[in-house]
Amino acid sequence: MLNQDLPEQNIALYIHFPFCRRKCNYCSFVSYTSRDTDIIAYLGVLKKEIVLRATDKHINTIYFGGGTPSLLSNEQVEDILSTIGSLNIINKAAEITMEANPGTVDTSYLTAIRKSGINRLSLGIQSLNDSELTLLGRIHTAAESREVVLLARNAGFTNLNIDLIYGIPQQTVSQWRAILAEAIELNPEHISLYPLTLDGNEPLYHKIERGELPALNPDISAEQYELAEDLLANHGYQHYEISNWAKEGYECKHNLVYWQNLPYLGIGVAAHSYLDNHRLANTSDLDQYLSKFYSNVKWVIDWEEEIDSKLQLAESVILGLRLSQGVSLNEIHGRFGIDLLSQYSSQVDHLAGLGLLEQTKSHMRLTRRGRLLGNEVFHQFLPA
Amino acid sequence: MDQSMIRNFCIIAHIDHGKSTLADRLIELTGAMSKDDIIEQVLDSMELERERGITIKAKAIRLDYHAKDGKNYRLNLIDTPGHVDFSYEVSRTIAACEGALLVIDVTQGIQAQTLANVYLAMEHNLEIIPVLNKIDLAAAEPEHVLEEIKSVLGYKPDTVLSISAKTGQGVPLVLEEIVKRIPPPNGNVNLPLRALIFDSHYDSYKGVIAYLRVTDGQISKGNKLRLMGQGTEIEALEVGYFSPYPHPVELLTAGEVGYIATGLKYVGECRVGDTITSIANGAAEPLIGYHPAKPMVFAGIYPADANDYQELREAIERLSLNDASLSYELESSPILGNGFRCGFLGLLHLDIVCERLEREFYLSLVVTAPGVSFIVTKTNGQQLTVINPTDLPPTTETAKLEEPWVSISIITPSKFIGPLMELITEYSGVYKRTEYLGHSKTLSELGQRVQLEYDMPLRSMLTTFYDQLKSRSQGYASLDYNLIGYREAKLVKIDVLVNQIVVDAFSRIVSPDKAHDVGKAMVHKLKESIPRQLFNVPIQAAVGGRIVARADIPAKRKDVLAKCYGGDITRKRKLLEKQKEGKKKMKHIGHIEVPKEAFLSVLKLN
Repeated sequence: MLNQDLPEQNIALYIHFPFCRRKCNYCSFVSYTSRDTDIIAYLGVLKKEIVLRATDKHINTIYFGGGTPSLLSNEQVEDILSTIGSLNIINKAAEITMEANPGTVDTSYLTAIRKSGINRLSLGIQSLNDSELTLLGRIHTAAESREVVLLARNAGFTNLNIDLIYGIPQQTVSQWRAILAEAIELNPEHISLYPLTLDGNEPLYHKIERGELPALNPDISAEQYELAEDLLANHGYQHYEISNWAKEGYECKHNLVYWQNLPYLGIGVAAHSYLDNHRLANTSDLDQYLSKFYSNVKWVIDWEEEIDSKLQLAESVILGLRLSQGVSLNEIHGRFGIDLLSQYSSQVDHLAGLGLLEQTKSHMRLTRRGRLLGNEVFHQFLPA
Repeated sequence: MDQSMIRNFCIIAHIDHGKSTLADRLIELTGAMSKDDIIEQVLDSMELERERGITIKAKAIRLDYHAKDGKNYRLNLIDTPGHVDFSYEVSRTIAACEGALLVIDVTQGIQAQTLANVYLAMEHNLEIIPVLNKIDLAAAEPEHVLEEIKSVLGYKPDTVLSISAKTGQGVPLVLEEIVKRIPPPNGNVNLPLRALIFDSHYDSYKGVIAYLRVTDGQISKGNKLRLMGQGTEIEALEVGYFSPYPHPVELLTAGEVGYIATGLKYVGECRVGDTITSIANGAAEPLIGYHPAKPMVFAGIYPADANDYQELREAIERLSLNDASLSYELESSPILGNGFRCGFLGLLHLDIVCERLEREFYLSLVVTAPGVSFIVTKTNGQQLTVINPTDLPPTTETAKLEEPWVSISIITPSKFIGPLMELITEYSGVYKRTEYLGHSKTLSELGQRVQLEYDMPLRSMLTTFYDQLKSRSQGYASLDYNLIGYREAKLVKIDVLVNQIVVDAFSRIVSPDKAHDVGKAMVHKLKESIPRQLFNVPIQAAVGGRIVARADIPAKRKDVLAKCYGGDITRKRKLLEKQKEGKKKMKHIGHIEVPKEAFLSVLKLN
């Protein structure tokens, strides 16, 4: 199921677009509102960074993330793609995804970007319930969420993802069931389900702190998650990663690069890269990015960290366990020359005893219960 | 020196009533030190004492005073500890004097401990000079306090001195009255040596320094001496007095106050209250019965970081060199690691020791809930002293359980009698009597001052009793207590089981009618503070085999990082590393991971 053609020769490309009409109440990503006047300058720098940092490695996936990339005009999308195209490194069958928010796009726009080469849309639907959308601070209605799927289909998109959020305060299991049922009816190829998580700086966090909303309830979230697993399986969606479901053949190739611990290049403000066993992050300050990029590439690197082989192994296991098939024992052996099960025998026994981990002939993977308690498993594989 | 020119006296006062300030003025007036040299309250030498406004270690200062009658007198001021936990030391200081200044804050009146100490001084036939202090303050109520002194202690107003130790007003007269009213010592220099130890401390150069009052005979350097109570034999390596710094002399004779250096390594070998005599031709009878104060309150002291155990051990050993009342024995807990079960004279003593460990030795401590020592008679007749609830034998093997009781005396404005009586009853107090101090009933809106006397288990005083006493009397009530011995107790041990495993550190001894409430409180505190585990965890409180309270911590269902923030794998990893670090710090009860804070919350639960 996974596209494995000579991974070391390929690279994934992530492009961050940090602008939004308004910031959502749960958002802790790097994004800017009321900075639209900087978009043109930002694109200039972005293209320069692509040209400077691209290598001869071929690109198998491109992902436009945000922020709200669908605020870009179709000409701007075209412009970026043709800049990359001119480097002659995009594989023919490359998956090119763009995140798009309901309420920001129409058929002609979607038709145009489809024509420019975007072949997958990730739709930030988040909910199909108006009061939840208001609570989350989304700019669109449930009707617009439903509509955007139709618009995308009309524009010729055959690979759609929809994002949904569960574990929203006051969201009951039955409300969630209704949303899921409607999402299934929209019939996207791919569904991502994320529990609402708050780090301490979001407006929703403060609302809960002030007692205006009930606290996040992990037990209800767990129930909602298990419900989703059951419902989606009944409708032909494979649960291939902790938060992701897809119809066969529609797994997100770009995100698989992360889970398979393969290299990727991140372009733009706050974008992260994993290159030559180094993890690096661009500055998350828009002004710094805009003003300094011309003079010095290194300057926009906020930090850089070498990942030694111990950490590579740990990361490979932790990321790989997120996939339903788990970590391939052969692959770990091939990559690190070790027998995973004997190297971590005490952890594996302990976690298997708790019913969180299990092994198949070729893989080690999380159990159904383990998927909800992944952190309890993951940290056991970190270097001491 | 001619005994008729000597006056030995101490100052009896409540905390903050001005004892140390008056001592400073006396030192200054007699020229023992100039005003500039007296930095602040010379008698309180430890920083901690100064901050708390109490004197922990008694010291003595020799003051040379040229009186109005033209003669030169030698005054020995012996400082007294000001807190109830040190009442044994106070009693020995009093026994070393012929007179006492009774200092009363004119804005506060007589307090419970002061009264107790005055009665003690009266028992020892001391001449008492009442002194009203702080007369410069606007809130002073001299008539009211004079009335109280008259009615409670029987002193006529014209025998009471009025001073302001702070400004010095009236202090010169105090010196004159000391000379006039306090009788000189009347020991016999020709009798065999008898000297009372009223304090001792360890000096790293000279060994234990014993502060003493020579009653009969004399001591000189090189004398071979014997402690009559303890049997310790010593040589007087140095003999001297303080004024306020040590001055070695050849000889201390009957009636004099001073010190000897003993070369001993441990104050426990040279304890307060013992009588020193000569080895050759010694006295037959000691001056006063020697029965050193025994620790009555016990608590576990552990290093917050188990790696600091060795440092803690050394620190406690160092402190005990100078504190004979501090006892300690090794104790270990599966959760807290190695530590000590320490014995103290009382709660203040415990506080002081802990503060000194933290402040002088830079240790961070975990202190378990204080308890008392029980005497258990087993069904087979064997008797044990139990200072750790864990060691209490099962009820089936226990014939009799006894616990220490105290008699308490509380002085309070009458307005608070109701709430205080209610409080004392709640804490198992048994009423003895009530006495009104003075006759004037209308001077204050708080009403007349009253002394309440009760007996109660010492155990009851170790929780929030004192705080409650203060809060229910708006801070007006004062408390004194005295140990009166052991009484039979109906008590049970509560055990706490976490996932069916008994956690020793949580075991408590309580009265049966409180077992349910205490058990419930502990169980709920643990439920609040133990994070959810990967399986259900029952928390139970049990008395014997009977469960009195239970709460269940449901299994954790969800703990997983969901989203990949634009390929930010590092952020994910850091969160996991933090989680792993947090788990490393957890203590374990069986398979249960418990943060130390959860333990502390229960250990400190009152």
